Amino acid sequence: MQYIGRTCKSVMIDKRKVRLMTRASIYEKKYGEEDIKITGYYQKDYSSINTWITLIWVTAGYLLLALLLVLAVGVDLVEGITIARLLLIAAAVLVSYLSLLIIYGIGAGSFYRKKHIRAKQRMKKYMRDLSRLEKMSQKKEIHRS
Amino acid sequence: MSTLFVWREKLREIYAKHSTYILKALQLILGLVLFGLINVNIGFMEMASSVFCTVGLAVICTFFPMIVMVTAAAVLILVHFYSLSLPIAAVSLVIFLVMYIFYFRFTPKKAWLVLLAALAFGLKIPLVIPVVFGLMGTPVWIVPASCGVIAFYMVDFVKDSAAAFRSADAEGLFDSLMSFTRQVLTSKEMWLMVVTVVLGILVVNLIRTRAVDHAWKIASAAGAAVCVIASAAGNIALDAGISYAEIVVSAILGIAVGLVLEFLFFSVDYSRTENIQFEDDEYYYYVKAVPKVGVSVPEKEVKHITGNKPREKQDTAPEETGNTNTEEILLTRSLSKELGLDQEKGKTE
Repeated sequence: MQYIGRTCKSVMIDKRKVRLMTRASIYEKKYGEEDIKITGYYQKDYSSINTWITLIWVTAGYLLLALLLVLAVGVDLVEGITIARLLLIAAAVLVSYLSLLIIYGIGAGSFYRKKHIRAKQRMKKYMRDLSRLEKMSQKKEIHRS
Repeated sequence: MSTLFVWREKLREIYAKHSTYILKALQLILGLVLFGLINVNIGFMEMASSVFCTVGLAVICTFFPMIVMVTAAAVLILVHFYSLSLPIAAVSLVIFLVMYIFYFRFTPKKAWLVLLAALAFGLKIPLVIPVVFGLMGTPVWIVPASCGVIAFYMVDFVKDSAAAFRSADAEGLFDSLMSFTRQVLTSKEMWLMVVTVVLGILVVNLIRTRAVDHAWKIASAAGAAVCVIASAAGNIALDAGISYAEIVVSAILGIAVGLVLEFLFFSVDYSRTENIQFEDDEYYYYVKAVPKVGVSVPEKEVKHITGNKPREKQDTAPEETGNTNTEEILLTRSLSKELGLDQEKGKTE
């Protein structure tokens, strides 16, 4: 890198090319693998698959949370329980579960949609850099021939 | 004041040149403090609480992303809890899993904020967190902050009641499971601090994003004041047992840290503020433009009065260095833009 932009006897390194290559390799290192995976899906498919996965995770998390709550205050709740109180608890559990699902469903949908859009934009930029590099190499080849 | 700005620019230059090493050094220090604190407070397993383990873990985690350090810290806590009592380890694992499912699945890169929050509580400076998170982050940062507070209190409970948990026999396993869960989930002090930190972050962030003069200073002071009032009022109402000295000292420290952050990331000259009004076909615009304070670092020139080197060489050398520097600066700028360093800086501003 010491000789960037300067002639070193017979070697001449193209500054623009180095920059494009650096940018491309940084992209590959940071996002490349993940972006290829993401952009392999259509936006709608990607966001809906991940939203469903999130809902499954949320269900598991809710069950774990419920387990913790039962361990913490279960004895107090069960003590002197009536049918009306049982129904009330069941309704509270159901409502909280459904509201959690709705919140996370909407949130995850928008989150993964944005993630797909960002990945696509980055990928587009990367491809543009690659095509620029290709054009530069072709020009060089023409000059040589 | 201008000397300070010059120092800041010098610091920036040093950071730009050696950012990789500086970040790794900071990561190592964070690892040493974190694993050290865990092992000092809940070092129930002798092998895992040795100095070698602390240093080894910190060194290993330095070479990996921050999420590895967070995972290592969680595993270390679980290992210590397991050697004390299986039910406690199980409950802690479930709590960590819940944190992961509801938040860290989405932003694993922000997981290190939990460490910061827990560390601040461990170092007895809890109210620095609302100010720092409110100034540097977004309202969503209340989630990692809350998780950090819960993780800290979980460790604190075990530390305080270690003897009772250790003496529990096989029959008392279920009782210790229930009592620990109840202790964690119904702790007044913990929930009071969670509410305080959440309120503080929201207040600081709300004021910081307003277009008022000295927004950062006002935000830091207001956030610290809200935190002190909320925690003191809660302490009186719930009899939570929080130390007032700790609250006040950490609030003052929070304001000081806020001022330092403002100096580093948001130094503007309010005396030269421009209020502009213009319009297009659809809107009227009322724009407030506040100029940044920029100071160029004076470059020291060394004159060789009695040099032994040939004159020709002395004349050409500075020119070449200048060229190389320009190239390097351009490349660094381009790379830092690609790495998103500029965006992060912009976000904070």
